[in-house]
Amino acid sequence: MKEEKSGGVSAFFAAVGSFFSDFGTAFAKGDVFVKLSVLWWGAGYARRKQFVKALLMTLLEGAIIVFSVKIAAQYVPKFGTLGTVQAEKVFNVATMRNEWNDYDNSFMILLMSLFSFVVWVFAFVVLVKNTVACYNLQLTAERGGHINNFKEDVHTLIEEKFYLTMLTLPVLGIVIFTMIPILLLIFVAFTNYDQNHMPPNQLFTWVGLRNFANILGGGGMTVTFGYAFVRVLAWTLVWAFFATFTTYFGGIFLSMLLNSKRTKAPKFWRLLFVITIAVPQFVSLLLVRNFFSNGGIVNTICANIGLTGFLRSAGLISTSYIPFLSAPGWAHVMIILINIWIGMPFQMLIATGVLMNLPSDQLESARIDGATPFQQFRYITMPYLLFVTGPSLVTDFVKNINNFNVIYLLTTGVYTTTNQAMANSQAKEVDLLVTWLFTLTQDYYNYKMAAVIGIMVFIVCAVFTLLAFNFMISGDKEGVYN
Amino acid sequence: MKKLLAILLALAMVLSLAACGGGSTASDQNNAPAEQEPTGDAQPATEAEAAAPAADGEKETVELTLWGAENDQELLRQLADEFIASYASMVDLKVEVGVESESTAKDTVLTDIDAAADVFAFADDQLAELVNAGALQSLNEMDEALVNLAGKSIADVQAENGTGAIAAATYGDTLYAFPKEGGNGFFLYYDSDLISEDQVKTWDSLLDAAQASGKKVGMTLASGWYNAGFFLGAGFYAHLNADGTTDIDWNGTAPSGITGVQVTQAMLKIASHPAFQAVPDGGLSGEIATGNLCAVISGTWDADPVQQAFGGYAATVLPTFEAGGQTVQQYDYAGFKLVGVNAHSKNVGWATLLAEYITNEDAQRLRYTAHGSLPTNLAAASMPEIQDNVALKAIAAQDAYGVVQTVGGKYWDPTATFGEMIAQGQLNVDDEAGIQAALDSLVEGVTAPVD
Repeated sequence: MKEEKSGGVSAFFAAVGSFFSDFGTAFAKGDVFVKLSVLWWGAGYARRKQFVKALLMTLLEGAIIVFSVKIAAQYVPKFGTLGTVQAEKVFNVATMRNEWNDYDNSFMILLMSLFSFVVWVFAFVVLVKNTVACYNLQLTAERGGHINNFKEDVHTLIEEKFYLTMLTLPVLGIVIFTMIPILLLIFVAFTNYDQNHMPPNQLFTWVGLRNFANILGGGGMTVTFGYAFVRVLAWTLVWAFFATFTTYFGGIFLSMLLNSKRTKAPKFWRLLFVITIAVPQFVSLLLVRNFFSNGGIVNTICANIGLTGFLRSAGLISTSYIPFLSAPGWAHVMIILINIWIGMPFQMLIATGVLMNLPSDQLESARIDGATPFQQFRYITMPYLLFVTGPSLVTDFVKNINNFNVIYLLTTGVYTTTNQAMANSQAKEVDLLVTWLFTLTQDYYNYKMAAVIGIMVFIVCAVFTLLAFNFMISGDKEGVYN
Repeated sequence: MKKLLAILLALAMVLSLAACGGGSTASDQNNAPAEQEPTGDAQPATEAEAAAPAADGEKETVELTLWGAENDQELLRQLADEFIASYASMVDLKVEVGVESESTAKDTVLTDIDAAADVFAFADDQLAELVNAGALQSLNEMDEALVNLAGKSIADVQAENGTGAIAAATYGDTLYAFPKEGGNGFFLYYDSDLISEDQVKTWDSLLDAAQASGKKVGMTLASGWYNAGFFLGAGFYAHLNADGTTDIDWNGTAPSGITGVQVTQAMLKIASHPAFQAVPDGGLSGEIATGNLCAVISGTWDADPVQQAFGGYAATVLPTFEAGGQTVQQYDYAGFKLVGVNAHSKNVGWATLLAEYITNEDAQRLRYTAHGSLPTNLAAASMPEIQDNVALKAIAAQDAYGVVQTVGGKYWDPTATFGEMIAQGQLNVDDEAGIQAALDSLVEGVTAPVD
């Protein structure tokens, strides 16, 4: 309907502006039925004899009203306090049951209020669009144009506007399964929902920006939280950088080696690497964790060949074992190395696919001009690869920021921090933001802090993605290869 | 045409509304009895109904869920069936038995109390947090129901179980769970072919004997469960406050006059002995199986691997150590496994009866026969075969030097880190200021507000 292709922020505001101005026009200029359709959604259609549509809109409106009165009215008025009535119970010997008072459940209040808000926003949009549509119907009727009957409406929805029909379910799914949980997470970050305030027996309430102040180092109660947050964030970014680029370049070199004409039996070698993909990641990670644990097989071998003793006498380690996965530094390097082994085959497959499509004429002409293999790689292969796989590099980086599996499976149970300030905030040097978040929610029920960290992770990922995509997609790089 | 889109959306929404509506009515059922409460006259009627359900020919159907450990499943099913049969004349009981490890029950229950089982088994260190979250039914309130239907009062339960077990199941003055089994503490296993009965009495002689035999003494230091034994022995404490925070005094001086620094120095001396092997938390069984150890501090759950690895299978109380010029007996955390009733259970009365049934004297005898659990029931514990069990005899002896554990969640990470620092030798025995600073950090972390 509206012009939406001009792109950018201005287009968005233009769309919002026309959304309201259309409504204003419709309401001001429409006849009494258009005006009435603000109250009774079916009015405009009934006037134009679109009775099925009128009935459906009335039913929708009725459903929303029933929802508002029956369900939303129970929860939304308590949204400001998130409940005031604490749960209490008395055991009744006669019925053998507990009798509870009519208590408030803060979590249900928050969740159902959010759901109500989403429903009401939806209702408002429908109301506005509906009024505009009724006005358009009126204009059509005044012009003497054709007014669709219900059959024809259904027909257009299947033929001309099939994309609307197709998109309905996914959009609904996103709203219910993604948007509401995310909104919930954001709201929880402003409450004191934690171990001492757990529904249904206890209430939680709004605390404003206190949680954010705590994590950014301003809180008096959790001094170490800010300390731990900065360190965990730094390692998260370092890890994401190395994990992304080591596997990316490793994968490219591997695939070039395998693609080289001098490599014998390339399919066999490729198969060997692909097997690491075929084995479920958590199996191989847990095995590797046991190999490298303090009493693991690698340590036994190192002790037997005298490596442990050598490192000890060189002053590199103070323990009777090599702390591959149990000391900071050692563990950081080991995790990145193990991740290369886990992640490289994926990148190898991608790079193989891209290399097979490399325009061979360019390579050939370069060879004729006397370019060395390295020059060919530096000026033709690599720019081409970067151009094609650049966006996936960005998504890989974001994925690695949230790479729960590798870190959690490799360090849980073997890594005990010796940094007391970290321990006092339930963090470890090798924690990513996402694994820390997991510990806080799973072991300490600190939902409010986990929500704050979740928002932080989102901000980090969003900022990085926006910058990277803007940098990569801006400019006319496409032209270079044509 | 957007309207039709809207209509489709509406239809989908009506469906989802219906789903939500269904959900909220289900939760409303919780509140329903409360609405009846003020109408006092209605109660005699229901009482009569409950008292003589068989009379009107319509038995009430009561469905219960029971969570227990993996290895307890068979026995729980058997006990549940007996329970159902014994009340068959009064109600139509259905019991579903599910697997939930006793060590993780708290996490699962607190994730969603309403969805958790009616009756669940858990380790005693989770009691306080479960009570604070309101997940456990006070059993004192259930006294009348128990007397009516099981012929047993709460006082009887308290009298027939060991005092330690009852203390572990009590919070404030209220009993919140039935003790199921004891022996969930730790003591010393040793290879009597290599180490003599006298040598296991002190850490010094134990470590020297181990060194002479070319093997090691294994212990987990990086866990607040194991390393607390040194401090508790010297008279320090760690306990839970009503607000969920933990109180701990390890950076001060114990009533015995021993300071936390002196205890730490003793631990450092032990940990730096060439025959001492610090084992990561959870790695003891694997370490025993390697055959490198001649003594290990662990619990009854490691009895089988120890029996296979050690030439002479023997067990005794934990050794003593020297701190501040005194000889200190190392303590353990005397752990118990308990069975609690979900306060949000729809049938809390029958759930309590089931919990009592699966923990009574006969059930505990069966549990010992099935998997060698130490009974908390005094009558069951006096069975002659228990008196002959090496590991159970050791844990019973260690009980004299055991403390029931009540700590909050903030206790674990700082104490684990403190143990790991000792294991890795990051503290210097002579650096008293450094040790004091580490202890201060430990106390700061453990006593931090639950936040």
